[in-house]
Amino acid sequence: MKSHINRRHVLLGTLILVFLGLLVLSVLLSVMIGAVPISLKDVYRIILYNTTRLAIGDADTLTHGTLYEIVWNVRTPRVIMAAVIGVTLAVCGVVMQATVQNPLADPYILGISSGASLGATFSIMIGASALFTGVLAAMGTAFWAFGGALGAMGLVMLLAHMGGGRLTSAKLVLAGSVVGSLCGAFTNMMIYIGQDAENMKSVTYWLLGSMVSARWDKLAMPGICLGFGVLFFLTQTRTLNTLLLGDEAAVTLGVNLGKWRRIYMIATSLMAAVAVCTCGIVGFVGLMIPHIVRGFAGSDHRFLLPLAALSGGIFLIWADVIARVLIPKSEIPIGVITSAIGAPIFVYMMVRKSYGFGGAD
Amino acid sequence: MEIESKGVSVTLSGREIVHRVSVQVKDRQFVGLLGPNGSGKTTLLKSIYRVLKPSEGAVCIDGEDIRRMSYRESAKRTGVVSQFTSMSFDFSVEEMVLMGRAPHKTALSRDTEEDYRIAEEALRRVDMLDFRDRSFLTLSGGEKQRILLARALAQQVEILVLDEPTNHLDIKYQIQIMDVVKSLGVGVLAALHDLNLTLMYCDYVYVLKNGSVVAEGPTEDVITEALIRRVYEVDCSVQRHPKTGKLHVVFFPGSVGKGE
Repeated sequence: MKSHINRRHVLLGTLILVFLGLLVLSVLLSVMIGAVPISLKDVYRIILYNTTRLAIGDADTLTHGTLYEIVWNVRTPRVIMAAVIGVTLAVCGVVMQATVQNPLADPYILGISSGASLGATFSIMIGASALFTGVLAAMGTAFWAFGGALGAMGLVMLLAHMGGGRLTSAKLVLAGSVVGSLCGAFTNMMIYIGQDAENMKSVTYWLLGSMVSARWDKLAMPGICLGFGVLFFLTQTRTLNTLLLGDEAAVTLGVNLGKWRRIYMIATSLMAAVAVCTCGIVGFVGLMIPHIVRGFAGSDHRFLLPLAALSGGIFLIWADVIARVLIPKSEIPIGVITSAIGAPIFVYMMVRKSYGFGGAD
Repeated sequence: MEIESKGVSVTLSGREIVHRVSVQVKDRQFVGLLGPNGSGKTTLLKSIYRVLKPSEGAVCIDGEDIRRMSYRESAKRTGVVSQFTSMSFDFSVEEMVLMGRAPHKTALSRDTEEDYRIAEEALRRVDMLDFRDRSFLTLSGGEKQRILLARALAQQVEILVLDEPTNHLDIKYQIQIMDVVKSLGVGVLAALHDLNLTLMYCDYVYVLKNGSVVAEGPTEDVITEALIRRVYEVDCSVQRHPKTGKLHVVFFPGSVGKGE
């Protein structure tokens, strides 16, 4: 009897470990890079002390001083945030594509990004205090972005359920684009009548995403939410595989399609909404990373999901490094970087032909 | 193990496609479902394998209403080979067949040596073992059909529901698939177009027309020249073949719509 230890599986399993190593390496290396270059030794020392209390060298520099501030309070949380968001968006992308059985889906498909844009634009251009009093007036941009995202998601689900019948992927995609253009119209309207150059700049900045705001205290909430979300999906790989076979096959293989599709969609959308209100809309990662990884790892979620997660984290860490060093003393929105890198890679994959974007050529 | 539909009606977009149909597959019986295009065969089967919900009536496995079972529970007992619809993602043939093990697995359990052995055996039965590492979407229609049967075999069920399982297959594989299914010794409910295959393999048949059962009984009693004339509107001759000892149907060219 041939052993089931398939060579391909061993290869992909090894690849997961390699990518895990690369992710850790990326964190350490990327903390070195920036306006003030810092040696790997110092980075390693400071991170090690602050995570495990193991002191190497002068103990004073491990908790005080510029070096400590830059490494531990500025760059490390920022790099971790990039990794967390990258992992989340990649996982949400993979799950969303399986859930709606459409390889062109991304985590924002239920109108998350357009709803969040609307919320954020409203908060920046008009300001919550102009319309509301009390608690609502005091809430910041992130709150309105999250609210907008949830509102859009609810509307999409509502539209997709309208007229009865089952929740099909086609209905969801259509409802998503309807809500998307509706929110887009209002967003543009607000920008147009707002006419305030400074606010316009902050809206644009917000819409394109940035890791600038990362601090430890701001990282805790999204980190925990997204961590649980990602772990949950790592236990769902078998069901996800079954979903890819199509509605009918999934049912005949014992998967309660309607139930799982709803759970997955709501979970991924909530995760995407948390990601968006943490650091703005980082485009392309959730669409591109799953495709690239599927190109070499195949559609089996047992390998695809962890590999895509790690790739997403690594990719966003380096995209953020580019965002902060490309133009000295200035930051480029990370969404610009991800799209600028992502688009050519995507074109290359299309031209290469051997990858059928999920389908057969 | 038995499966039956009890007075099942199915309504799609306001039209009743299947009207109070009762069919029954007794233990290890090979049951054929006949009827012209649009007679409701596929719709009835879909309500039996839970993709469509009956508007009245019930589907029962061993007397237990399937609505009271989880999807996993019914998938452990009933395997399905339906007409293949397109898929946007690719899998290897082996991965595809292994998914037949899904109903027997919990979320976190891994595929065991046993699962691989079952998948391998299923592939061997449909003569596709050499294709195990091929990508599923690059296969021909007939090859895909055989892989889907292998997946249902890997499910290790006691009832198989087949919707035109011999579609896209050349005659060798039509006979091979029917032989494989017959040799399993499980209950089978198969929608079939080919009356000769039906006569060769089925113990019992139901004939549907316009969503209702118009005839049922042991295969040789039901498939008669008069019934074929009435249901399919063609002329033919039903004879016993000297070598096989089975009835077979010969159709007459140019007979559509004449007579009556």
